[in-house]
Amino acid sequence: MTVVGAFCVSVNREVCINSRMPGKCATCAEVCPHGVYALDAYTGEMRIRNYNACVGCRICAEFCPEDAIRINPAESEYLSRYPWTLATVEEIHYKAQTGEYLLRGFGTQQPTPHFDTITVVPSQIASPEPRDKYREECDLEVVIGEGTCEKPLHLKLPFVWPAMSFGALSKEAKMALAIGAAQTGIATNTGEGGLVDEEMWLARGYLDKDFTKKEWEPGGYLIIQWSTGRWGVSTDYVNSGDAVEVKIGQGAKPGMGGHLLGTKVTEEIARVRGIPVGSDALSPCRYYDVQTLEDMKHMVDFLRDVTNYQFPILFKLGPSRPYDDVAACIELGADAISIDGLVGGTGCSPDIVTQGVGIPTIACLPPAVQALKDSGVHRKVKLIALGGIRNGLDAFKAMAMGADAVGFGSAAEIAMGCRVCYACQKGNCPYGITSQKPEMRARLDPIEVGQRLANFIHACAEEVKILTMLSGHNGISELSTEDLRAMDMTTAALTGLKLAGYDRPLSFWEEGYKPVAVKANDN
Amino acid sequence: MTVINAKAKDLKTISSKLKESLNEDPIEVKNASHLHGLVAGLKHGEVIIQGNAGDYFGVLNAGATIRVTGDVGNYTADNMTSGTIIVEGNAGYGAGQYCYDGTVIIYGDAGDFTATMNKGATIIVVGNVGDETGTYMLDGDLIVVGDAGENFANFLIRGNVYIGGKWNSLGHNTRVEELTHEDIEKLSGYFQTYDIKADPAEFTKIVAASEKPFYK
Repeated sequence: MTVVGAFCVSVNREVCINSRMPGKCATCAEVCPHGVYALDAYTGEMRIRNYNACVGCRICAEFCPEDAIRINPAESEYLSRYPWTLATVEEIHYKAQTGEYLLRGFGTQQPTPHFDTITVVPSQIASPEPRDKYREECDLEVVIGEGTCEKPLHLKLPFVWPAMSFGALSKEAKMALAIGAAQTGIATNTGEGGLVDEEMWLARGYLDKDFTKKEWEPGGYLIIQWSTGRWGVSTDYVNSGDAVEVKIGQGAKPGMGGHLLGTKVTEEIARVRGIPVGSDALSPCRYYDVQTLEDMKHMVDFLRDVTNYQFPILFKLGPSRPYDDVAACIELGADAISIDGLVGGTGCSPDIVTQGVGIPTIACLPPAVQALKDSGVHRKVKLIALGGIRNGLDAFKAMAMGADAVGFGSAAEIAMGCRVCYACQKGNCPYGITSQKPEMRARLDPIEVGQRLANFIHACAEEVKILTMLSGHNGISELSTEDLRAMDMTTAALTGLKLAGYDRPLSFWEEGYKPVAVKANDN
Repeated sequence: MTVINAKAKDLKTISSKLKESLNEDPIEVKNASHLHGLVAGLKHGEVIIQGNAGDYFGVLNAGATIRVTGDVGNYTADNMTSGTIIVEGNAGYGAGQYCYDGTVIIYGDAGDFTATMNKGATIIVVGNVGDETGTYMLDGDLIVVGDAGENFANFLIRGNVYIGGKWNSLGHNTRVEELTHEDIEKLSGYFQTYDIKADPAEFTKIVAASEKPFYK
């Protein structure tokens, strides 16, 4: 059971194989993640058993051998029943029947203020004049950890794959991400579920573990995540990458630890994570070995020590109180800070947490940037924006708002073939991305999908280049909020961007972001 | 024996010296009580700390045998994957957290949150332990010869907890079980190896009531 969607399925019975020859085809019933279809055990006929469960992912339509299925948005009467929509009614029925809360995968379905209501300001005759995308250079390189560690990361493009764990994703998907990173010179991330050995050499562009056959130029980087569950963490693990990311929280479930349900814990994942097969891996919400900020400082110290002072230390934050959180990370000596917004995705999370906890990605950025500016380290300590970044346009907007790089998490999954069915936690992904079943994983060829990911990154990089140059800049480090305008009051109020037409920020934003010294525990 | 005097030196200097002389005889470190994260991530070797050590002592240990003659700070042996850590004095809170394997022996008392999220190591405290000891243990053995505080073995998932003394209160998802013959053999083996004077038969064994306590 999952959240119901407002979609309806229609099957053309004249071409449907099952309708003509009952029992001969059950593809739709097999691939549907939400059990919309069911086979009649006696007659072999396919029925639409759970009409309301369709979320509109169209996996069945893609797999149908006769192209007999059409998915349409449901009639408006369902959508106009707010607040007692069909989804709410079904959810309450489910809870009443089972006593369980809902779990979901992927990310929020809630309408959230996002980058769409921000527009880019191009250059015309007044300075700066636009640059020529086809004939001039544009600097997209980002360096993380310059001057603080021995081996800084030189990202060729201002993108990273955010942390997605082995366990949530299949081994093949992790390998594809590494290959995609190697081909584009960006960084992939192990996530908190330990290391897939292949990632180590694939991410650097090598085909073998001895690092002799270089297949992909320029070769990417591997970020090692240090998280609260500490699954599969050892000295070797920490030293097997190019950077260490300390996870504090994530956008889809800030304030909670990672969830991996036992159904996805296969033998290999159990080995990597150091837990028995089939047991739930529920990470704690905070570090048991950190009680104060001082402890966290010592933790960063020993992480630098264990890695011989070679690697940058990154922090990953959920969307909470960005100013205070980022200021704390700067104090801890972070080389880069990832901040994940409400729109961020996950493999499994309680429904209410994904839907309703945290602040939108666009609202995270101004306070975070202000914290960097107040410490005098903006564009030195890098800020990585995560959470619902879909294309070069979103990436450009995030970078103009003050981020140095962006991460494509959900978009990477979609580039791998995902159709967004919101059921990652079930482990039945028909594209082999979030499934651990051998037959599903066999559908994902890491090299082919790695190429798709690289293509996606290249396309997004070109988009960022176009926008950077048409707004009159030679590189992404020159971008500023002057390159953006808010197109409605909500966005202007959330972000402090100038309102289009009015060309000034709203009055309460005139002096920029002002930190508010209110802590959650204050009464 | 190589002797390193840590007086007024920083962590970077000490750890590079340690890694240089690791293949030689046992290393002795003196005056290191001001350092946190001391002897982190060593894969082999033998280190003796004379006196006290700070927080995160022996963190990420991956095979070294480390002995400290004094007391240690918080989070001793954090995330150890192999090796042995012997503390002759007392430990602060959070000793033996997140350990995958290896042995931690504390001859004195240990604070709160000892052996939290232990994933397979053997953690022995000869003295008493504080509150929340053994919280969310996923595997391994925790042996407390003395007494325990509140919420002992809270949310135990797997693994065995043995206690020689009394506890103030038991945590969620726990069940007291009879000692088997194997348990007694295991305990007396440890007691003999590490020279602990206690009678294994007088211990109480605590195991998890259910493997999946979170989803109801």
